[in-house]
Amino acid sequence: MNWQRILLSISLIFTIIPLTACVETDDSNITPERIISLAPSNTEILFALNLGDSVVGVTEYCDYPPEARQKTKIGGFSTVDIEKVIELDPDMVLATGIHRDTVVPQLREKGIKVLIIDPQTLDEVLSDIALVAVQTDRFEESNMLVSDMENRIKALTSKISSTSEKPSVFYVTWHDPIYTVGKGTLTNELIEKAGGTNIFADSEGHLQINLETVVTRNPEIILASAGHGAAEESPVIWAQTDERLRGIDARLNDKIYQIDADLVTRAGPRAVDGLELIAKLIHPELFVE
Amino acid sequence: MSVDTTESSRHRISNIRLTQPQHWRSRLYSMLGLTILLAGVTVFACSLGSANVPFVTVWQMLISKLPFVDIDGDWSTNTEIIILETRLPRIILAGIVGASLGVAGATYQGLFRNPLADPYLIGVSHGALLGAAIGFLLPINWQGLAGDMLIPLLAFVGATITVTIVYLIARTGKSLPVTTLILAGVALGAFLSSITSYLIITSESEKLHSIISWMLGHFSLSSWDEVLIVLPCMVIGTLIIWIYARPLNVMQLDEEQAQQLGINVEKVKIILLAAATLVTAAAVAFCGTIGFVGIIIPHAVRLIWGADYRFLLPFSTLTGAIFLILADTLARTVMTPEEIPVGIITAFVGAPFFLYLLHQRKRGTFF
Repeated sequence: MNWQRILLSISLIFTIIPLTACVETDDSNITPERIISLAPSNTEILFALNLGDSVVGVTEYCDYPPEARQKTKIGGFSTVDIEKVIELDPDMVLATGIHRDTVVPQLREKGIKVLIIDPQTLDEVLSDIALVAVQTDRFEESNMLVSDMENRIKALTSKISSTSEKPSVFYVTWHDPIYTVGKGTLTNELIEKAGGTNIFADSEGHLQINLETVVTRNPEIILASAGHGAAEESPVIWAQTDERLRGIDARLNDKIYQIDADLVTRAGPRAVDGLELIAKLIHPELFVE
Repeated sequence: MSVDTTESSRHRISNIRLTQPQHWRSRLYSMLGLTILLAGVTVFACSLGSANVPFVTVWQMLISKLPFVDIDGDWSTNTEIIILETRLPRIILAGIVGASLGVAGATYQGLFRNPLADPYLIGVSHGALLGAAIGFLLPINWQGLAGDMLIPLLAFVGATITVTIVYLIARTGKSLPVTTLILAGVALGAFLSSITSYLIITSESEKLHSIISWMLGHFSLSSWDEVLIVLPCMVIGTLIIWIYARPLNVMQLDEEQAQQLGINVEKVKIILLAAATLVTAAAVAFCGTIGFVGIIIPHAVRLIWGADYRFLLPFSTLTGAIFLILADTLARTVMTPEEIPVGIITAFVGAPFFLYLLHQRKRGTFF
């Protein structure tokens, strides 16, 4: 009889472990009024849920919406200044996956409520927006935002489904050395949902690739990422001027476009804007009025 | 201690004298063999890559570019761009850089009479890295040739300024004690890399890619423009170094003895230092700080062909070129279409090979 008990307790333990792992916040049910965001995408979600006034701290990279720039800075993305966070006395910190094993344990030790969201896909963006809304008591805003995003995605998907053409797309994250995106990234998902074929979808994650592979795979469209600072045009200038790309279709047909990196890499509400933008660049024929 | 040194140097000099006539011819054959091997490796590397171009097509294409040869190829423009404008310049640049690091490493080891010396010992790499990091962080677009040359220029300037400062600090009166030179180089290097580290941690993430890739060394955007700039620096520097092979041999005994034998030791030191810095700085400027080549190649050559600098220097040049071409070929093909920074390959493949050589030649001291 004893082994049954052991088995029972083991199975109990295994059901409890995932449960405890899921609950990443403590049980306090008060609506947070002082929120700190540890990532640009998180900041965008908070502002989209109309929580801008409650945000008391953001990272140096949080530049959208413009009001976010006025907020107190708590350091960089991976270099969070813990003392600053504690000094701001937040009642909730919205972190991402990279903070899970670094700053999150330290913050929880100090009794600060931390919510971790780490969306990697459009679907996860939608569900994580809802999750943040639950923790911050913003159901109405969340319903509106999520259903609006869902409707736009649906509308776009049905538009794209009317064509069977899937032009090959090369996304340049950076050109020296050449970085691009493979499967498992938000950008890759957006390109495919927008009716394109990412020429590096056979590889995973963010990857450094060589020039000859780009020439061999001969993309029909190049999307050059525009980041921040004065060097933001470098990738597109490279794509337009490197002699060795002169024989590829995108160059011959003048289909090299610059695209705001934040729209297609940040897993936030604007990812849908990024999706629509890519679709218009890949399939302009579907958007003629 | 002093008895010990003279004894070992006597042993060394007798060794050189005794072995010379016997091995003179075989070493010349080896050099010829290495030159042929270098050409073979270049063509071999040219036919490997993520794009599947048949070996025959590569050969036809290369031969068709020789003067007075007329071959009509049926390859596409893109195939020609891949072979002649992407792979070939990259392979040749890797060869030039490997040769530079090999010969500079041998020179530094000889100058400092220190087996741990490598081309980066007295601050070339730290200066170059700081220069490059400043370049990457400048708020400028990389536009056209002027933009492409900005980083290499800053890296080159950073490297040469650093070595000059180290030289000025270490010089006492008319002499240049090598130990002071090394210490000054290490200290200044540490100072510069603290500035670089600060710049790196405060920089934007997309520029981080460039800086870190540069630190590990890569050839991913090599073109003929770069080859045309690095090649003259390498040829001039290497020739100067080769000319001073005999004085370098004598200086291995003892600087004082070399002086007594009629060698202007201080002048030789400055010339060799300048030449080795020129080739290293030019190599580093375009492809970043590729590690391990400069330290392992001269040792490997020494283990195989002996310590006579008249052979050690040219052998290190050729072997360095062959080694780095092979390493870069691995870097761009092993995980295709992904690239691995070549610096990882040089250490990962080079270190075990070097340990194997050491094991084969357990002779106590080989330096």
